[in-house]
Amino acid sequence: MADFNVNVRGVGSVNVIDVKGYLDAHTAPQLETAFNKLIDESQYRVVVNFDDLSYISSAGLGVFMAYVETMREHEGDIKFSNMQDNVYNIFDLLGFPMLYEFYKEESEAINKFNDQG
Amino acid sequence: MKIPFSDVQQSRKLESAISITVLLFIFKILFYSADTYILFFFNELLVFGSLYLWTLYIIDFIHPKANSPLSIFLNIGILTALIFFILAISTAAFEQETISNSSFVTSFFSLIFSLVFFGASIYIFTAFRELFFLRQKRDPKTYYNTMMVFFVLVFFSNLLIRINPDFDYPKNAFYVVTIVLISINSLRVAWIAFLPKRQKISLLVLSVILSVLFGFNFALTLEGNILTTTLMNFSAGFLSVLNLLMIYGTIYCGVIFFTALFHLPTAEAFDRKAQEVTSLMDLTKLITQVLDFKELANSITQITTKVCNSDSAWLIIVNEDNEYELASVNNIGYIEAESLSRQILKDNEEDINSLISISPGNYNVAIRNDLRKFKFNWIVIAPLNIHDQRKGYLFAARIKDFSFDEDDKKAIEAFSDYASVSLENAKLIEESIEKERLEKELDVARDIQYKILPYETPRVDKLEISALFVPAFEVGGDYYDFFEIDKDNLAFVIADVSGKGISAAFIMAEIKGIFESLARTYKSPKEVLIKANEILNNSLEKKSFVTAIYGLINLPANKLVFARCGHSPLILVRDNKAERLTPPGIGLGLDDGPKFTDTLKEMEIELNNNDILALYTDGVTESQNAKQEDFGYERFEKIIISNANAETDLISNKIMEQLTTFSQDNVQHDDITLVIFKMKFNNKTSGVS
Repeated sequence: MADFNVNVRGVGSVNVIDVKGYLDAHTAPQLETAFNKLIDESQYRVVVNFDDLSYISSAGLGVFMAYVETMREHEGDIKFSNMQDNVYNIFDLLGFPMLYEFYKEESEAINKFNDQG
Repeated sequence: MKIPFSDVQQSRKLESAISITVLLFIFKILFYSADTYILFFFNELLVFGSLYLWTLYIIDFIHPKANSPLSIFLNIGILTALIFFILAISTAAFEQETISNSSFVTSFFSLIFSLVFFGASIYIFTAFRELFFLRQKRDPKTYYNTMMVFFVLVFFSNLLIRINPDFDYPKNAFYVVTIVLISINSLRVAWIAFLPKRQKISLLVLSVILSVLFGFNFALTLEGNILTTTLMNFSAGFLSVLNLLMIYGTIYCGVIFFTALFHLPTAEAFDRKAQEVTSLMDLTKLITQVLDFKELANSITQITTKVCNSDSAWLIIVNEDNEYELASVNNIGYIEAESLSRQILKDNEEDINSLISISPGNYNVAIRNDLRKFKFNWIVIAPLNIHDQRKGYLFAARIKDFSFDEDDKKAIEAFSDYASVSLENAKLIEESIEKERLEKELDVARDIQYKILPYETPRVDKLEISALFVPAFEVGGDYYDFFEIDKDNLAFVIADVSGKGISAAFIMAEIKGIFESLARTYKSPKEVLIKANEILNNSLEKKSFVTAIYGLINLPANKLVFARCGHSPLILVRDNKAERLTPPGIGLGLDDGPKFTDTLKEMEIELNNNDILALYTDGVTESQNAKQEDFGYERFEKIIISNANAETDLISNKIMEQLTTFSQDNVQHDDITLVIFKMKFNNKTSGVS
């Protein structure tokens, strides 16, 4: 399988996770590690930037489901941005847009957090 | 070496040897003086015959002892001493007397006496022969056989002297040649090199004593005394041969003495080499027998200490997290070894591409609060590499201030190589056990899956149904089922559990139970799915979810009602057109609140004759080819449209066929499930004329 890469960067009070490549059962643990670290640091406002993600499997989707509750309990959230169409279709089919916020641009998602104060 | 009659069975050899000796005995008693030439001739012949046959017998007797040359040598010593003892005592006791009258009694005693010599010389002779052939790489038998021939010639040349005492030059000539040959053959002493040092020392002492004894014996058998006379009476040939044998002994033992002496300085090195070789052989055996790496690591450090003259040895491996881990220690504490190697590796790690030797000075080893100094003067570090990856280090340390020599280093290198191999072996075994475990798990999962899926599709008027399921190697969680609610209503479900393996299979089993009971309790697909979501939210892990389509076909009304929870669209093919039906709905287990209920919408469809409904899991649309392109909806729909007139079984076969061609050698990652319905109204009921 192709590579997968996670990078976390802070933009103000929001943390942006850049995901790149293939997110499946084998690479999902890398993303989980990133989320665990954020929770350890009490960082609950997360934007996941999907710009470079080319594939996501059900195990990949499961990662967001596993952590979103914790984020929301601490007045944070996981928001998605910059998703390619094929990836968005998978989220869409599953009904994720009813449960998560999707943005075209990363900045919109960050602004949304900042507007909330 | 091929000697006449040597192939005869051991028991037969003994038989013939005994019989010829008995014959000799009787002959001696009958004709004890052997006055006439003809009697003398027969006497010599009989003696030679028994010599030969006994030698043949003793050869086989001694041969098994060839592995311990020292014990053979010791036996030679005892017999030589015995001969010397008899010779010395009898020479002293009977100095003045001579045998004047050859009475029967004296003759009998001298015969017994001669036979003792006879036996001893045969043993010594065969023992020499065994030592001669010991550890010979090239075949030296030509020299040896020539010597044998001359021994025989000397033996029989006495016959000539008997005819005329002046006719002794052939015997002397043969005698000299035999001595030359003895000298040449005595140089074959390769076996000495292979003795351990202590045995070499014993051999050194023994050989010098023996050489002297043989010398004395030679001298005593040469001069005329009572014994030589007795032996002369017994057999002139035997006396000559005994004489030669004593010379042989003197020369051979002398050579052995000097050889042993010259080998002594190198004995220790030789011993060590031998030990190294045996250790390596032991290790090889261990590698194939011992599966536990720790156990093997212990042997490796032990052997390293022993063979390389080091005071301590320890083995460190690099584990999966790239951390050092002490595998075994010998003559050093765990804490000390760990602390020491940490310091050494910190300073030297880049340099250790192959074996290095360092003089570490005094590395400080802190044990609790007590600073101790380890005065290792020399440490050798050998890296363990597997496929160019660093997997550990073997340390050997010496307190004394003399550095490890090339041999030590080579041995340590060899041991570290063995450690690498066994480390790799242990890893492979672990992996294969893990793989076996996984495969068993997969078998169980696949079993569950097959038991859960319906055995056959229901037979219903107006509907042609076919279902197809192809499991992936790593079992997914695909599930489909049909419920015949009553004679007018057929319910169906298709679901895909996120994740794989045994956990997915168990969730699938749970889902089957849920749907089976809900289908009979609630009529509306929406209600069924809402209840299913409630139940699953309590039991599913946070990160698991299930996508599903649940539908109900009312046959008399030609009506389909269905709802979708995050599942791939239901495809309706009608009039050569495909339509992807995606009523809104969130996947089961994604949300436990009202959002699920609020968003879930049912869809109702009037069904026409020849309508095709395709239900499937994403294993179909997400199958990939070598270029990692998805099979996708278009290809899928096109196949259904172009085969719309065919039976459903054929349609699903076509789809599977194309799918296989498309993905070709690419591994199937997910289960593939395909359920196809086709409306087949009877002409009568549909009212078409």
